[in-house]
Amino acid sequence: MMTLINRILDWIKSKFWTEEMELTLVGLQCSGKTTFVHVIASGQFNQDMIPTVGFNMRKVTKNNVTIKIWDIGGQPRFRSMWERYCRGVNAIVYMVDAADTDKLEASRNELHNLIDKPQLAGIPVLVLGNKRDLPNALDEVELIDRMNLNAIQDREICCYSISCKEQENIDITLQWLISHSKSNRQSST
Amino acid sequence: MAFKRDKKEEEDGGNPYQNLEKTSVLQEARTFNDTPVNPRKCTHILTKILYMINQGEQLGTAEATETFFAMTKLFQSRDIILRRMVYLGIKELSGIAEDVIIVTSSLTKDMTGKEDTYRAAAIRALCSITDVSMLQTIERYMKQAIVDKNPGISSAALVSCLHLCKNTSATDIVKRSLNEIQEALNSDNVMVQYHALGLLFHIRKTDRLAVTKLVAKLTKINMKSPFAVCMLIRMACKLLEEETIPRSESPLFEFVESCIRHKSETVVYEAAHAIVHLSGTGARHLAPAVSVLQLFCSSAKPTLRFAAVRTLNKVAMEHPSTVTACNLDLENLISDSNRSVATLAITTLLKTGAEASVDRLMKQIATFVNEISDEFKIVVVQAIRALCSKFPRKHTVLMNFLSGMLREEGGLEYKASIADTIIAIIEENPEAKEIGLAHLCEFIEDCEHTSLTVRILHLLGKEGPRTKQPSRFIRFIYNRVILEGAVVRAAAVGAMAKYAANCAMLHDSIKVLLKRCCLDVDDEVRDRATFYSQLLSSNNRQLITDYLSEPMHVSLPVLEKTCQDYVLNPTKERINLSELPVDIVVKNISQEPTRKQNVDNAVKPVEVTVENVDGQKLPSLIGLDAGKLFCSSEPSMLTEPETEYVVRCIKHIFNHHLVLQFEITNTLDDQILEDISVALDVSEGFQYLNEFKCPSIKYQETGNVYVYLKFPDDSVDAIASFTAKMKFIVKDCDPLTGEVQDDGYQEDYRLEDVEMTLKDQMLKVKVGNWDSLWEEAKSVCFEVQETFALPLTSGGLSDTVSQIISFLGMAASNNSENVHPPNKSSHIVNLAGMMRGNCKVLAQAKLALSENSVTIQLTVRSMDERVAELVVSTLD
Repeated sequence: MMTLINRILDWIKSKFWTEEMELTLVGLQCSGKTTFVHVIASGQFNQDMIPTVGFNMRKVTKNNVTIKIWDIGGQPRFRSMWERYCRGVNAIVYMVDAADTDKLEASRNELHNLIDKPQLAGIPVLVLGNKRDLPNALDEVELIDRMNLNAIQDREICCYSISCKEQENIDITLQWLISHSKSNRQSST
Repeated sequence: MAFKRDKKEEEDGGNPYQNLEKTSVLQEARTFNDTPVNPRKCTHILTKILYMINQGEQLGTAEATETFFAMTKLFQSRDIILRRMVYLGIKELSGIAEDVIIVTSSLTKDMTGKEDTYRAAAIRALCSITDVSMLQTIERYMKQAIVDKNPGISSAALVSCLHLCKNTSATDIVKRSLNEIQEALNSDNVMVQYHALGLLFHIRKTDRLAVTKLVAKLTKINMKSPFAVCMLIRMACKLLEEETIPRSESPLFEFVESCIRHKSETVVYEAAHAIVHLSGTGARHLAPAVSVLQLFCSSAKPTLRFAAVRTLNKVAMEHPSTVTACNLDLENLISDSNRSVATLAITTLLKTGAEASVDRLMKQIATFVNEISDEFKIVVVQAIRALCSKFPRKHTVLMNFLSGMLREEGGLEYKASIADTIIAIIEENPEAKEIGLAHLCEFIEDCEHTSLTVRILHLLGKEGPRTKQPSRFIRFIYNRVILEGAVVRAAAVGAMAKYAANCAMLHDSIKVLLKRCCLDVDDEVRDRATFYSQLLSSNNRQLITDYLSEPMHVSLPVLEKTCQDYVLNPTKERINLSELPVDIVVKNISQEPTRKQNVDNAVKPVEVTVENVDGQKLPSLIGLDAGKLFCSSEPSMLTEPETEYVVRCIKHIFNHHLVLQFEITNTLDDQILEDISVALDVSEGFQYLNEFKCPSIKYQETGNVYVYLKFPDDSVDAIASFTAKMKFIVKDCDPLTGEVQDDGYQEDYRLEDVEMTLKDQMLKVKVGNWDSLWEEAKSVCFEVQETFALPLTSGGLSDTVSQIISFLGMAASNNSENVHPPNKSSHIVNLAGMMRGNCKVLAQAKLALSENSVTIQLTVRSMDERVAELVVSTLD
């Protein structure tokens, strides 16, 4: 009986205090965007993902915050459409394959191209260096340098090194995201 | 609030979407980007957008793309109605917006998801946005969907595949799902089975053998779906049309016939309809179909009655006697509350009824003819036309009725069909000519269709001068010059000139009228008027006959091309009309919509003239001196279509020489042919003069070998057949690079025999005054006469007539190729042609029907006795 009442109470609480946030997940192909969504939604790592053709829309609820994630395909033909899905979101998450140094330059250019768009001014950006479990992966400091993140001054920007496979640093990422949900942002400003 | 507004609109009785404005609706579509999504509001906006597009509003690419991407934001909502509206929106915008593949992933997720209401719609949307490069990624899901146990999903997948097949490269990918489609064919669901069958036929339609096999297999098993059975009947009929074995022995026909006893009405009707529409179905086979249709006539369902009476109407056109049995049922349908059914019933009765009932039926039609649509009025007109040829004595009643209809409002097609009918009656029945022309004159006084007016003016010019009182037409024709547009004026000038040429008493007055037209504002009208005035003033009888009374016999396409060439590259040489090839008469499109003639019309006549033009260049091409080209035959295949080398033969005929052009196509990618020649076993009398080899033919290339022969001196020997063999050196090569790999070896390839027929050496000549020519020829020409008997075929006399025409390669004059009415027992065909060497040939064939054969007496008159004998012997 008590458990039932507790659950009802939880439900009512969630109705009152649930926050909503919307974020867009972009980055070059094969950097692990869809995998990341899968990990934060189900807590499981799935090795074989197929390339995203277009976008996936997922809703994930964490700590009374419902996160709407637009996971956009990273193949070159979709990159021109990123901007359309980044307008008006609470945060842009930019995924980088930290172990693939060959593609870093392309990744950096795409990121800077994206945030230079006037429509997206002021939207916080979180850069995630994925695959830190791999031997040659760059750490945060190297990534900030190589991605030239210091040049971005007009908005809040943050960089974490994570691993979806080993589920490392996923929790701090989530914390960052939740802290950027609507009400939290309003209270901070 | 919203409820109140709805109610108010309802009271107004107006359409809530009536006054939509594109820009404001697209503005509203921005709400799609809002969070959280308001499903009700968004559904409403989407409805507006869909309504607008379906009303024909055009969206620009940028607008559509903007709306499309806004719409993709709605994927975040879980509202079922909204999601389904989004699918519809995607389908509508997929053709206009850019980057629509962005929704691929989302749709793929929905089509494989748990929500069944999403899946079918998602499949349809997915197939509309996908392109060939994306297709491979979704192929696996499509395969699964085809065999899904939910029939709606399976159907959606099958139909979407069918739509994808519009793109040829996608067809190959769809073909890979053949096993799944076969499995769907065994489904218990009527729709799935039908759709699977449709798709199967579609992907096999290019492979005749596979279709035959499929039909043979499926006719043996009992398919559940009546729709699928209907489709199968249609496919069976297609194959039946191509079959050569007699109907009574054909298993396919047996299947169609057995479907008449099917338990579904749809199938029964389809089978009856199919039997009726098969060409050459005899009365014996028709009987069961007609009796089923008779049953349907008294059905309570209007659709069935309509279908039955419409089909009976078709039957009555060719086999009126078979339908007579249904007369009683049809009489009952005349008072049917459905006007369409009543019209069809009456027109059917007109075809089957006796002469006495015509007046009564016509009165009945007159009571409601104004209430029916144009389409059905045309049906009535066609029925009247059939009546006229059946009961020529009734022409006054019918003609009056037709002219009454001409005065009514109506579209071009309707008016044209009436004019056609009147023209046909005039041609068939000389007594009706004067009245008919008078009615047509009255009609052009107030006719808004230029094409029709021009046609009637032409007819007036042709027929008018030969009537008792030609002068009465002039007023009508000259009125056109005063009142109408340039095109009509030009036609009127031409028609008037014909009167001047053919009626001496009108000559001077028309010259005055033509003088006035010389000041017309339009170039064409002025040119014509000046030309005709000059011609008439010249008083040169020969010129007037050549350019006015008798139409030119020159092949117009060739004349056009020659003139064009001349304008582009003026040479000193003059164009000489007599050197141009004589017009090859393309069988004129007969207005009678019977099946037989439709088939004839389907033969592409254009190609012949094109070959002809090419043939003109032939002598210079290979350096011959054989004189002017007389004619070129249509290409004939000397190999089966799917063999390693495809060879076609075109015969170019000169007065005394013959060039055989062998068009050889190499279809093997690993071979190069070199030094190709064709060895002919030339029969006696022909003289082998020269040969032009082809040096080499690569894969998918076509090369020509020419063989130059001389005809035998005696024309009778000019019909022969030569055995032919292609000789060449084969060199193997790399299919990819085309690099030759060895020295090659000599090879012989047997071709089918080259036939030299009379038809190849004869040109069709259409003459207007055949009778006078025939009389004239009697005194100056040689005459050969012989009598034969040919076995009677199912088509009756008209079949035999077309056989004779095709054997002889001559043109029939004065419409004598049409046997009217089709069931008459004797017929005379008047033929005219030009044999190579510019030797004119006239022939008359008298046909008489006896028990099981047709007796033909053929009389041929020609300046050359041997030619006349040759023509007679051809038919032997």
